[in-house]
Amino acid sequence: MTIYSLIFYVLALFILATTAMAVTRRNMVHVVIYLIFSFFGSAMLFYLLGAPFLAALEVIIYAGAIMVLFLFIVIMMKFEGGRHRLFAPGQWIPAAVFGLVYLAAGTLLVSAQPGSRTVLKTARATPAMFGRYVFQTHWLSIEIVSLLLLVALVGALFLGRRTKKYATPKSIEDHR
Amino acid sequence: MIVPFGHVLILAGLLFLMGVFCTVTRRSLIMMLLGIEIMLNAAAILLVGSTLHWQNLEGQVIVLFVFAVAAAEVSVGLALIVWAYRRTGSVDPGDYNLLK
Amino acid sequence: MSDTLTLDSTLIAAVLATLLPFASFVLIMVFTRNHRRLSAGLSIGAITVSLISAVFLLVCHWHLQTPLQYFGRWVVSGDIVIPYGFLLDPVSLLMLTVVAAISFLVQGYSLGYMADDKGFSRYYAFMSLFAWAMLNLTIAPTLFQLYIFWELVGLSSYLLIGFWYEKFSASQAGKKAFVMTRLGDVAFFLGLLLALVHLGNLNILELNSPRVAAQMSPTLITVSALLIFGGIIGKSAQFPLMTWLPDAMEGPTPVSALLHSATMVAAGVFLFCRLFPFFSQSAVAMGVFLAIGTITMLLSSTMAMVSRDIKQVWAYSTISQLGFMIMGLAAGSFFAGMFHLTTHAGFKALLFLCAGVFIHALGTNDIFEISRLGGRRLKVPTVCMAIAAAALAGLPPFSGFFSKEVILAALAELDNPIWLVAGLLGAFLTAYYTFRLIFILVVPDQSEPRQPDDSHGHAGYWQMGGPLIVLATVTVLLGFFQGPLENFFGNHICSVSAHTGSHGWLPYIAIATAASGLILAWVEFGRRNSARVGFVERIGWLYNLFSERWYMDRFYRRFVDVVIYRIISGLCTQNDNRVIDAGLDALSKDAVQSGRFVSELHLSMIQYRLLAIFVVVALLALYFFF
Repeated sequence: MTIYSLIFYVLALFILATTAMAVTRRNMVHVVIYLIFSFFGSAMLFYLLGAPFLAALEVIIYAGAIMVLFLFIVIMMKFEGGRHRLFAPGQWIPAAVFGLVYLAAGTLLVSAQPGSRTVLKTARATPAMFGRYVFQTHWLSIEIVSLLLLVALVGALFLGRRTKKYATPKSIEDHR
Repeated sequence: MIVPFGHVLILAGLLFLMGVFCTVTRRSLIMMLLGIEIMLNAAAILLVGSTLHWQNLEGQVIVLFVFAVAAAEVSVGLALIVWAYRRTGSVDPGDYNLLK
Repeated sequence: MSDTLTLDSTLIAAVLATLLPFASFVLIMVFTRNHRRLSAGLSIGAITVSLISAVFLLVCHWHLQTPLQYFGRWVVSGDIVIPYGFLLDPVSLLMLTVVAAISFLVQGYSLGYMADDKGFSRYYAFMSLFAWAMLNLTIAPTLFQLYIFWELVGLSSYLLIGFWYEKFSASQAGKKAFVMTRLGDVAFFLGLLLALVHLGNLNILELNSPRVAAQMSPTLITVSALLIFGGIIGKSAQFPLMTWLPDAMEGPTPVSALLHSATMVAAGVFLFCRLFPFFSQSAVAMGVFLAIGTITMLLSSTMAMVSRDIKQVWAYSTISQLGFMIMGLAAGSFFAGMFHLTTHAGFKALLFLCAGVFIHALGTNDIFEISRLGGRRLKVPTVCMAIAAAALAGLPPFSGFFSKEVILAALAELDNPIWLVAGLLGAFLTAYYTFRLIFILVVPDQSEPRQPDDSHGHAGYWQMGGPLIVLATVTVLLGFFQGPLENFFGNHICSVSAHTGSHGWLPYIAIATAASGLILAWVEFGRRNSARVGFVERIGWLYNLFSERWYMDRFYRRFVDVVIYRIISGLCTQNDNRVIDAGLDALSKDAVQSGRFVSELHLSMIQYRLLAIFVVVALLALYFFF
């Protein structure tokens, strides 16, 4: 048990715990906060696994941008929660059954594979090295992804514009 | 020496399962979107782990793209949710049953 | 025998004779419906050319040794070749001439009779169609072609019987004629198929050749002969399908004349003559034919004894004479049937045309009424009718005497004398009812008021009178041509006429029978101060039986009501309601129900679907992994 493996297990526990808390919270703000912690844990795990650049991106994009975006929406829109039970039995029982089967099969698979027992050695892909690799071999994909982001930006703007055309019905029942 | 690769796999699997659970059980569009984020994160962890396992940088490159796709998906998804909420006043997926 | 179409005068004449009436039909229907004179001119012109061609053919081939055949291909499909062509032998030549002549006379007569009718052009168009169909029927070389024109004859007779379609009874009568002959035609068609399957073609000459016996077993020949005879029963109004003919009187009288003498009903007997060698290969079938002919003749004679409608009397007499022809043919004398068919065509057309003059002039069908209104003052038709009636009754020296005598001779040669007795009885009845009508017409009723003699002036009298005189002349003279005609048919290779003349006493018996019928009629109707009531009419039940046509119509009515409407159509309705409709209903209901059921599964909840997607993807992954 090296120090690295200790750190790994601690981080894994941390991630799983915060995610589990996030999934089970009723208050949306709490959910988002817990998830931010979970993503911080993930960022540290990335660092541990030799991807410092990705760790930075995880913090900036996931915890920084995406979660803050969620937070804004949740706070601005004031979705009321608590109308329903948190987990409807008709939904969580099948999901849990499926999850158990999935977990059992996954564990079985992982333990059956000899490759999964090989211990990972520490290594590091420095940001410079990573950047050179990406822009040497995947520059076209980078351009395409940038285009995708542009399209998403335009789409979000288009969806978010205020239109006077429709009288906004109060509830979905008005459509019937 | 960190840990066996299998442990990374199991961690990612558990995380993914939580994302699925969140997506299919929480009755809110926002929570469904968050569940998808959790699943994407699980995939990212797995990819970084396998980069280390096979000593091949391709995994990290894919993670980069996953981040980009996630950012795009979240921006459009949230815009859609806001739009739908303005029109119907609800974020419960059970209420979206016009086609029934 | 020529199998290719080489242009010679015979062929041209045959084509002209058979094509022109159709051309005139088309022209009238398409172009000249609104020009009455033009239509009549077209139609009569066409039939005149046909008549000239037919006479030309008859004269040219008077000494014909072997039948002439002309073939063209009509339909070729793989191995099947359906030929179209002409067959010229004594039977078809004689019949062609008779048909053309009668059609010509009737069309000329119709100029006067139909002069005031609205549908004048239509009438001539149908007449042309009728003539065309019948002319083609006579010279068809294959049974297939014959069948086509056979049906066309049925169609055009339907059109003409129901010519005054605004009259309900007329359209009903047309329908009845069509449907009842159709019943027979179904049997005919089945017989054709049977022969076709076993022989490979329907060429009439091959069907008549003795080789048929080698290709078909006797049973098969009997069955197919009986089936084909079904068509004859329908067309020639034999028992039991005879009831359509009296109703067919609803059409214009010239149509009745044409229908009864040379075209529609004669087609049946003509077919018998055509296939005589084929039929005579089956003794059983011939026996059946003989019996049917006899029954028909006797039944319809009795019906004619009580009818008061002048056209109906002649209609019944037609049926009975047709039965007589069938008897003669079935008795084995080909010449007897053909000869009687020819003479009958002449005098029966004459009878109907005379009746038409009375009806046209006096506006009634009832013979007593005609007599009361002074029908006898119409001299030409009265005299002509008397001549024709004498021919029908079989009195010498008119044509009917000779032909009947030939038939009776044929019957006398049969082993069983009952057929001869039946034939004589029929002749007696025929003479009786014929002269009953004549005496009622001619002898004035004592109570009759004198009326001014104004009937001669009406329009078209001489247009109608001309054909009468021609036909009367033919009726008088035709009988003396028995010898030449017999020679004509004697050349025919399939003729089995064996008229020996060994029954020297027969003509006297025949004359005596006819004369006794005449005398009985005179005693009851012609004598001064006679009661004018027939012996049958004094016996109530017999009278009812005869005037109700032996209850055959009622029987058919009941039969149709019970069997067809109630049972068959009832079953069909049940099937329609219970099986087809209910089946469809159940099917659609089940479809709707299953749709409902499936829509229960479809909860329109995205999360269930997502869960299902995850499960399926995960299981697929597992499946592909292991």
